[in-house]
Amino acid sequence: MSENRWMATGNFFTSYKAEQRIFMTHIDRLVFICFLVALFAWPLFFKLGNKYMLVIDSILIAIVAVYGLNLLTGFAGLISIGHAAFVGVGAYTLASFATVLGTNHVLITHWWPLMILVSGVVGAVIGGIVGLPALRLKHLYLVIATLSFQMIFQWTINFMTFFNQGQTISIGRVFWFTGKVARKQHYLFWYYVILVIVVVLGLAVRNLLRSKHGRCLVAVRDNDRAADAMGMNPGITKVYAFALAGFFAGVAGALHAYLWRGVGFESFTLHHSISYLAMAIVGGLGTLVGSFFGPVAILMLELQVEHFAEFVGHYFTAIGDVATAFRPLSFGLVIVLFLMFEPRGIANWWRITRSYFKLWPFRY
Amino acid sequence: MKNKQVTVMRIALSFLLVAGFAVQAVAGETYKMGLSLAITGPTSDVGSPYAKGAEDYVKYVNDEKLLGDDKLVCFIRDDGYKTEITKRNFEDFLDEEIVFYLNYSTGSTMALRQDFQEEQIPVLPASFHAGNLEGNDYIFLPIASYSSQAVGLAEYVAANHKGSGKPKVALFLHPSAFGRAPRDDVKKSVAAGLGIDLVEIVEHGKDLDNTAMLKRFQSKGVQYVISQTVQPPVATMLKGAQSLDMIAKTYGEAGKITFLGCHYGGGPALVSLAGSAADENYYWTTSYKMMTAKGPGRDAQFALAKRYGRDDKLAKDANYTNGIMVAQVAVETIRRAKAKGKKITRAVLYEELLAMNGFNAYNTLTTVGPVTFSKTDREGVDTLQLYVSKGGLFYEVGAPFESEYVKKIKQ
Repeated sequence: MSENRWMATGNFFTSYKAEQRIFMTHIDRLVFICFLVALFAWPLFFKLGNKYMLVIDSILIAIVAVYGLNLLTGFAGLISIGHAAFVGVGAYTLASFATVLGTNHVLITHWWPLMILVSGVVGAVIGGIVGLPALRLKHLYLVIATLSFQMIFQWTINFMTFFNQGQTISIGRVFWFTGKVARKQHYLFWYYVILVIVVVLGLAVRNLLRSKHGRCLVAVRDNDRAADAMGMNPGITKVYAFALAGFFAGVAGALHAYLWRGVGFESFTLHHSISYLAMAIVGGLGTLVGSFFGPVAILMLELQVEHFAEFVGHYFTAIGDVATAFRPLSFGLVIVLFLMFEPRGIANWWRITRSYFKLWPFRY
Repeated sequence: MKNKQVTVMRIALSFLLVAGFAVQAVAGETYKMGLSLAITGPTSDVGSPYAKGAEDYVKYVNDEKLLGDDKLVCFIRDDGYKTEITKRNFEDFLDEEIVFYLNYSTGSTMALRQDFQEEQIPVLPASFHAGNLEGNDYIFLPIASYSSQAVGLAEYVAANHKGSGKPKVALFLHPSAFGRAPRDDVKKSVAAGLGIDLVEIVEHGKDLDNTAMLKRFQSKGVQYVISQTVQPPVATMLKGAQSLDMIAKTYGEAGKITFLGCHYGGGPALVSLAGSAADENYYWTTSYKMMTAKGPGRDAQFALAKRYGRDDKLAKDANYTNGIMVAQVAVETIRRAKAKGKKITRAVLYEELLAMNGFNAYNTLTTVGPVTFSKTDREGVDTLQLYVSKGGLFYEVGAPFESEYVKKIKQ
């Protein structure tokens, strides 16, 4: 790495420590800080309607969930199509407290940071249990195991009266130092809460990947026998990857429950699991920035397709069924196109863009 | 010279400004309401005609100036039967400052009821689930609840069963909050003495073949099936029953099954889907008048459909009536508030809805009874009409009725 941390242009390092820096240059750090300031400050200057605040908050929650899936699938190489069920575990942990203690119990309304953490921990425990088959299964067989978990989750929620048979279980309004967070401030309040969590967990993931535990994930993904020979424990690493994914998903689930002020079964279906996987693929598997790009791209695409389907449905009523098919069609098409033409996802475009500016004006 | 030109320009500008304001004043107020429903996706066979009914009636109100110079805007959005999208649509409508909201599914009504309560906005959903009214003051059911419908059908079965012993009944439900809505009330009614033997409760899937279920019904001696779901699964079941020669040709025919359905599980659209399997002896209840029978309601609905270029099939659809009816109630509420010289706000419309009873009950022409709401009764049309299909058309059976056991179990 160049001695001048402001003007670094190449990718050469003189020490392992230098290679493991979170920010390669001061410019990177400065841009990151400016970006964070912008993220925190824009609501003070621009007032968005509740609809769009809800979309933005949902994107941030999806980012938290995709952090976990990216660790599991991108870094540890374990494909999961039951991620929405893990998110559901977090949400239903909170819903269970609400069912037993009451919607407006102080634990739910005042101790919500603790509840979010507890949901994450329950998600991690369930994730670890579901990850046990990973000790014996690989590839498609593991995919089927995670699919089974998704099915079991759906069946459990849909048929147990404790979970209100999948119908919405309400969650009370939370309190902040200024008092009860009223409906007017609801989306903005959760925007800041979720944003803080996204930043903290993002830095946690970045740091994890610098540690031996993070490198273990990558080593097991690339060759578990080689990793075993080098003294790592592939079995524990796989289970721990599932537990990590479960933790992130559990946190996302609790945030979802608080944001939507209720937990209903239809937010955690197989379709949502595939959506999370699509977000990870489109964003860029095995990259941290991919966890940001994927949810933004997929959720914005869904919104636009919805508008388009509505337009078609209204003006060409005879082809209403085609409008119904737009959502899955566009969704599937985007995944196929990315897999064919840009398997490294949007993160690769980001990498190319960064390289361009890094080398500017010396293009080659 | 220059001063003269400036003066002339000033006068012209002032005139334009005054004229602008005057035109605005003449144009009147604009009232906004929102409707989020499944125009595409699951249950869109109900949502699509429903949306068109509401849309056409609002157009009619504006074209015919039923609100004077004031204009009514109804935002209609597709939510694909997904609660998350419904919530987003609702937030969008609130940003547009709606004064009245028309919701659709049971699931989303239950999920958003806290929001309705906090926003203090009157809501008329397409869901007739009695549970919508619990823990909420702002949701109004347009017609009698699913519980009243299902229990009412069960009462009819109990009263008209010809064989010995209690009639054996199965419930065929949509696997959702909508389908499950009347389940517990039917059970409670049986426990309270309703004379039926509830043999099985089935939540259907997306099966295209119900042979196994129907054979099971047969082996258990089921004589009546009451459906609380949308028309396509009922049509699938009826076609299956027809191929197995299980449909009763007359009411309660021994050894066969008589099929009955609640509002969304019947009507002319069912006959279109199921064909000959539903065109004879299918019993159906709703609070809406049948658009195949002559009357002022039918004439008005047909005229409305024709006016806005709708086809004959849609004009006869019970869910087109359904959409018209909720828009009618919303418009009538606004009209009454306006007549009293009140400014149209959510609070005023809410009060106006609560006052819609006694001499102020609203006759819609499209329902079998008047719409009545009060603090203690937020079910609009209290009466139901039983219909039976004959030659592909639905005909009235007896007079409009109210479920006795629902009253009993609610006490």
